[in-house]
Amino acid sequence: MPKIKITCNLLLFLAIVFLLSGCWDRSELENKAYVIGLGIDRSKYEGKIKVTMLIANPEVGSMQGGGGSSEKPREIITLEAIDIITAKSTANAVISREISYELLKVIIVSEEFAKDKEFLPTLFTSIQDKEIRLDTFLVVCKEKAYEYFQKNRPRMETRPHKYFQYMIDHGIQNGYIADSTLFRFIKTIERGTDLALAMYTTAEKEKNPPNRGEDEYIAGQLNVFGELDDTQFIGSAVFRNGVMTDILTGQETRIVNILDDTVNIGDILINLPDPFSDKRQQIAVRILKTENNTFKMNLKGAKPKITITIPLKFEIMSNPSMVNFADSEENRQILKKHIAEDTKISFEKFLRKTQTELKGSPLPLSRYALKYFATNQEFEHFNWEKSYLEAEIIIKPDIQIIDYGKQLRPKK
Amino acid sequence: MKQQQVKLGIREYVCIAFLMIGMKGTEDTPSMLFSHVQNAAWMVPLLSGGLFFIPFFLLLKTLSLFQDKNVFEVIQQLLGKYIAFFVSFIIFIMNSYAISLDTRTYTNIIRAYYFTTTPRLVLYGILMVVCVYAAKKGIQRIGSISYILIFYVALSFFIAFWLSLDDSQFASIFPIWGPGKLELLKAAPSGLGLWGEFFILTSLYSFMTSFKDFRNGTWIAFGCVVIQLSLATMLFIALFDKGLVVIGYPFHVAIRYISLGEFLPNIETLFFPIWLSAAFIRFAAFLFINALIFGHLFKIKEYQYLIPSLATIYLLIGMIPETPNDVAQLKEPLRYIAGPTFAAISIILWLTAWFKGEFKHAKNKNNM
Repeated sequence: MPKIKITCNLLLFLAIVFLLSGCWDRSELENKAYVIGLGIDRSKYEGKIKVTMLIANPEVGSMQGGGGSSEKPREIITLEAIDIITAKSTANAVISREISYELLKVIIVSEEFAKDKEFLPTLFTSIQDKEIRLDTFLVVCKEKAYEYFQKNRPRMETRPHKYFQYMIDHGIQNGYIADSTLFRFIKTIERGTDLALAMYTTAEKEKNPPNRGEDEYIAGQLNVFGELDDTQFIGSAVFRNGVMTDILTGQETRIVNILDDTVNIGDILINLPDPFSDKRQQIAVRILKTENNTFKMNLKGAKPKITITIPLKFEIMSNPSMVNFADSEENRQILKKHIAEDTKISFEKFLRKTQTELKGSPLPLSRYALKYFATNQEFEHFNWEKSYLEAEIIIKPDIQIIDYGKQLRPKK
Repeated sequence: MKQQQVKLGIREYVCIAFLMIGMKGTEDTPSMLFSHVQNAAWMVPLLSGGLFFIPFFLLLKTLSLFQDKNVFEVIQQLLGKYIAFFVSFIIFIMNSYAISLDTRTYTNIIRAYYFTTTPRLVLYGILMVVCVYAAKKGIQRIGSISYILIFYVALSFFIAFWLSLDDSQFASIFPIWGPGKLELLKAAPSGLGLWGEFFILTSLYSFMTSFKDFRNGTWIAFGCVVIQLSLATMLFIALFDKGLVVIGYPFHVAIRYISLGEFLPNIETLFFPIWLSAAFIRFAAFLFINALIFGHLFKIKEYQYLIPSLATIYLLIGMIPETPNDVAQLKEPLRYIAGPTFAAISIILWLTAWFKGEFKHAKNKNNM
């Protein structure tokens, strides 16, 4: 009896050996080439796309202290492929390591391809790759995607994954670019009732950049010079029914981001005309959005009426006309009224543009309309896409000025 | 080798019940509900829970008459030898079908999101081996493990849902009636299948300390699970909106999407082990109960020894469907049949007991 028991136990022990073979999914960091950015362009061949991979070198910048390697931080390859999933193995003809999309940060699509009907099906097949996460950002670039990757040479942040992470995170915090993770983008496309946005970028500076207000640019128009990388992230591409139709400026994107409660923006710095100045001076303010907007709709009548109340907190940062706010309640009221009016005008103007030019709402406004209907059929019958274009939209800014800035003694 | 009989307390019982049925929120159930009644899917657990309450209440009432017997012995006493065998056999077959497909679903999830290149059979085999090991230890051990585990499971679910709130829009659950009130009412009976496990859990009664514990535990677990499933479905609707239709396993897509700030972006590996342990408990308990039924059917006293062979059969059945889509299709009939069958059996039992005058009998006995 004990003999049998010992043999049985030994056999069971031997079974543990089988666990050693459980290494199908073992992956060594050394063996992997992590793709950080993926570019998709139209190909001149039927049924193919041009895939660009930006591969990060994990060795660069990871070394603590001495050592370090003299290798380049990145590698870029472009190839023609049917889809990005098979492109992985094709790319291995030139890349020595196994290609992985696990750390993919951005999918960059050229404007030309985004305006193509083929774009959406291509994107949907691409994200079927199980390694791609839905928090990857979708970005539209002005030039060809492969050109963009080659031209984009950040000086300070040479590690590509850090570069894109910081660039995009801060862009979203400032509200200049749309928060277009694949998750949000696809959700909006699936919903089908609103416009989808994707952040806009370029590595090409325009020859004669226009001179505008601080945020009324789209990528490439900003006139920055010095010793720097030419890449700009500002503005957003508008997709209607899955095809890119228009571009919003940084300012318009900010308005969308303020109106859309699902975007987490930080504090925004902007200039507003100074109500006390007759020389068209501007004051600098910081806008904080800490509370959610309220959406009220009256969808019963012939013309739907939508009222949006936006609670915003303002901090006055500069005071070019040297008005005394500390002692004068009247001045404070004038400023508050002025800011409210200014906000109302610019927001309403933009929303009118979405109705007439963009032909749809760039924020998930249709979701707020849902609760006014009892069943899905009623909502479909209402036909949101059409009704939105005729709707009367009223913005009610709920302004609170929480700080008037440093009070300097007015000039005598 | 007789195992020491330690009775199952109320808290262990509630934990087992919660893990067995609450886990449904983390697999394909929410998207299945969504595909039927869209944005009103969160109401189905509530409605069908309410509907299931009636037969289940009657069942517990009937069981209370025979305080020293478990549900299968009661069936035998009330329906006679042959019909009872037939009824129990149907229950056994349905459970076997369910456990085969459910274990396969879990294997699919693991393979789809975590171990993509490991052969399916290996994953499936390991899952089954672990469950068999746990099930063979007996229901008391399973109970203790679930009691240890429940806190972490609840915490991890809570954290996952809380982190996903950032991207959720609760307005998506409107229009409140979804595809219409009538459609919703039609969907409620098919949702009965969600609660089938409660019926078979009653067979654990003979392991419980007292009938009172058993009854109270069942109602506590029932209430918790109904709310949990409904809430989970609601959160997934708020998070994915219409996209839920194309997402097979929303919980896993959600934990892959959420992040703890910039510093910890990919945190699904924190949730996965906890989810996996909960899955082990779920199937261990399921296997144990199935072996119990089988033992009862064929008068096998040492039913623990049946567990490995039953598990092997389930593994072989589970390997039959070729793709995850086939699994979903095969599950569909079970959803429609299981719930109403369990409800019908409960009602029949109660009616028989009533006709046979068992209730009066019990009353007289109490009065005496």
